[in-house]
Amino acid sequence: MSIPFSGTLRRSGGIVSAIGKQLKSVNLKGVKRITVQFDPFAENVKATREFLFLLSTPKVSQSNPKCIVKPDIVCDRSPAFIKFSLIDSAQEQAKVKEIRFNSDNLNTLELLQLLNKHVSTLAPPEEIVKKVLTKAEKQKLGSGAGGKKAIKKK
Amino acid sequence: MSSLLQQGLPLTSARGPLLQFMRFRGKINIQRPKQPHYERARVMAVTQPKYPEAPKALTCFQSRADRTGAQVENPYNAIIAREVRNWLDHSKLVAIFHLNSITADEIFRVRVQLYKQNLHLKAYGRKIIAQAVADSQYEAILPLFHSNHCIVFSPDQQRVGALLRITRKVPQMVLLGGIVEQKLLSRNELVHFAQMPGLQAAQAQLVQTLNMAATNVVQQLQAHQCNLIKVLDVHAKGDTTEKQEPEQAKEEEKQT
Repeated sequence: MSIPFSGTLRRSGGIVSAIGKQLKSVNLKGVKRITVQFDPFAENVKATREFLFLLSTPKVSQSNPKCIVKPDIVCDRSPAFIKFSLIDSAQEQAKVKEIRFNSDNLNTLELLQLLNKHVSTLAPPEEIVKKVLTKAEKQKLGSGAGGKKAIKKK
Repeated sequence: MSSLLQQGLPLTSARGPLLQFMRFRGKINIQRPKQPHYERARVMAVTQPKYPEAPKALTCFQSRADRTGAQVENPYNAIIAREVRNWLDHSKLVAIFHLNSITADEIFRVRVQLYKQNLHLKAYGRKIIAQAVADSQYEAILPLFHSNHCIVFSPDQQRVGALLRITRKVPQMVLLGGIVEQKLLSRNELVHFAQMPGLQAAQAQLVQTLNMAATNVVQQLQAHQCNLIKVLDVHAKGDTTEKQEPEQAKEEEKQT
């Protein structure tokens, strides 16, 4: 007598691969400016600092080169937060001007998950740009329809 | 006669033993040995040696680390920790930065610019720094090293302005705090310290403040006399200008 299969076929890679997976889907196109405020001597700022580091990586910053990430250091032991100032179209969509994460009790993975849930969805959809064909490409397309003789003549 | 004897008596011949050659230049066969005869096989099976099995402990398949339960620490860590402690003790200025994602090229350029100002950029791991500052006055800086960081040491504390000027151009380096002359300062305090005038100017200000009571008294006593002198000066100047003006007018008439 055998019991039905339960469990996973593949083992998970751990928190690091989960963070990597979230990072791949980060899209900052809907954000104008990110302000990360923390007090370095306060408790629980490790997640905020790691999040700041991940936002500064080339892959994430290339999703929107116009977005500025500004770290703000304060000395009054106030709880850390991350503020995303949205662009106009995103503001209309979300009906708020900025989104704020209070990161005192969140870890890096949760911050990224929240980012993907609330901010990446506000990115404006990409416009399809019409491609201008070069002469060689037009010839190729023409020959595909007409046959090989056309190319030989030319 | 002897040869006849030898031919007649083959048992006493001096020839060597009778040799039957089994192998001539060919390869020997060891991969497909002949099956032994049953009896021979039985004898061989009975006479196989039996060795006693070594007792297997429960920890047989555990690695040494699991067995001993102790983490062997690299003694090189202690050497680096001593170096860090040395730097901390002999630098008048220690600034700690949070480091965002930066290319090696850029950090090298920053390191060179800082070196020219006698500022030394270094980075160590959190474990080593924890080992270095344990049981010392520097324990308070430990929370700054939870994430990617770098440290700038300077034996000369007047370089705070230069440090801030260079790191302002580097957006990836975020100043978190520092130690100036064995005193822990937060980021705002460090910036304020950079804007303060030098030690001599501060001392001069202090001297001025201390003497202010005496100077006030002297000033008030001399106030009336000074006023009188000023008024007389103005009056004297006014007379001379009046005299000069008609003389100048006459000179101008002569010229024309």
